Amino acid sequence: MKPAAFLRLCLLPAAGMFFCQCAAPKSVATAGAVDELDDYADTEVADPLEPLNRATFKLNDGLYTAVLRPISKGYETVTPKLVRTGLDNFFENAKYPVRLVNSGLQGKFRRAGHETEKFAVNTITGFGGIIKQSDRLPHLANIPAEDTGQTFAKWGIGHGPYLVLPVLGPSSLREAAGYAGDYVLNPVNWGVFQSKDALQYIPQGVNTIRSLPAQLEIYDQARKDAIDPYISVRSTFIQNRDAAAKE
Amino acid sequence: MTSRSFLLITAAALLPLPPAFANPAEAQQRLRSAVGEVLAIADGSSSSAAFASKVRPTLERHISFDTMTSRAVGVGWRQFTQEQRKRAVQLFTSVIIRTYTEKFTPGEHPQITYQNAVSPASGRVDVPTRMVYRGSKYNVTYRMENIGGWRIADVVIEGVSLVANYRAQLGPTFSKGGAAAVISSLEQSVSRRS
Repeated sequence: MKPAAFLRLCLLPAAGMFFCQCAAPKSVATAGAVDELDDYADTEVADPLEPLNRATFKLNDGLYTAVLRPISKGYETVTPKLVRTGLDNFFENAKYPVRLVNSGLQGKFRRAGHETEKFAVNTITGFGGIIKQSDRLPHLANIPAEDTGQTFAKWGIGHGPYLVLPVLGPSSLREAAGYAGDYVLNPVNWGVFQSKDALQYIPQGVNTIRSLPAQLEIYDQARKDAIDPYISVRSTFIQNRDAAAKE
Repeated sequence: MTSRSFLLITAAALLPLPPAFANPAEAQQRLRSAVGEVLAIADGSSSSAAFASKVRPTLERHISFDTMTSRAVGVGWRQFTQEQRKRAVQLFTSVIIRTYTEKFTPGEHPQITYQNAVSPASGRVDVPTRMVYRGSKYNVTYRMENIGGWRIADVVIEGVSLVANYRAQLGPTFSKGGAAAVISSLEQSVSRRS
């Protein structure tokens, strides 16, 4: 074999490797990876309170089955679908301050503008938000909803320990603080801060009941077919919140 | 053929092949065709149980259940015997097919809007979609990988990866009881509601 041909043969693999490294995006495998494209994390969140969390999870599970699920079923039975959709739209529209403030706190001013436009469209042309007219406008149809937990994440605050809150369910230290922020910013709760009159709790009550079917569906999906329902719900919650924070 | 050219061809054939380059358009087309096939089967099924049995061969062709199962188990997969791997893949396939076919209501079609596919790594393409199904909107991303052709390696719904979710569960199961514990827990999951 001529030296030139030998050299060409020797250089072929090296050239191929060089080309691959330059042109192809890099693989992102983790330390405990099964293969080179395996980038899944083995640990998603610290759970130092796992025994207590598991006990609360079990308690909540019983509460959902015994109390909340019958209420949810009853609500779906007695309330026509059209009315349920209208209520969902109304209460989501009313949460505009939560989305506006948190868009601003994250520096997403364009999104804050879109949120304002969406609120105006739905409130004025959608009978106070009952009809979601903004879905007809492509630039307003799919705005990711911002909340306080996402703002904390954007500021670089980690989850902290995973928590299972009584009744409310999966959370983390960061998300629990975020939930408190959302509660204060949501006009549905403002009446409670002004007066202790029982009537002030009606909007809150309606909002809780109307959101039950969707909340329980998410919970059931995470729980169903799980090897370990507690871990499945924890993983679903953490992944969902992390993805929302990145939007 | 001269001996020199024969040598060149033989040597070239023995060279390690470069990794498959990600082709987002090709991967997306493959996904569209898979979704089309699945919806056609759904249209011809009278119940979700009938749909589950009919759709299995199609899903096995388009989804890499081997890849999904190995990653769902995590690093412990290396300690599985060939028999244990085969059994785990069978069981995991049954769990996943049941989970997803139960979400379908025969006669109801999801509206799917495909967005721009991206290639975060060589041999991988993520295809984000927006899905409207029974009045609800979902962001669904299909992770396609070149495993003997473009195949689905994960489904991410509203940011929740199916594989990551099972890894969070099966990883600790393996740590506690090894491959036998993983297979046993998958068997329990399959038999629980069948």
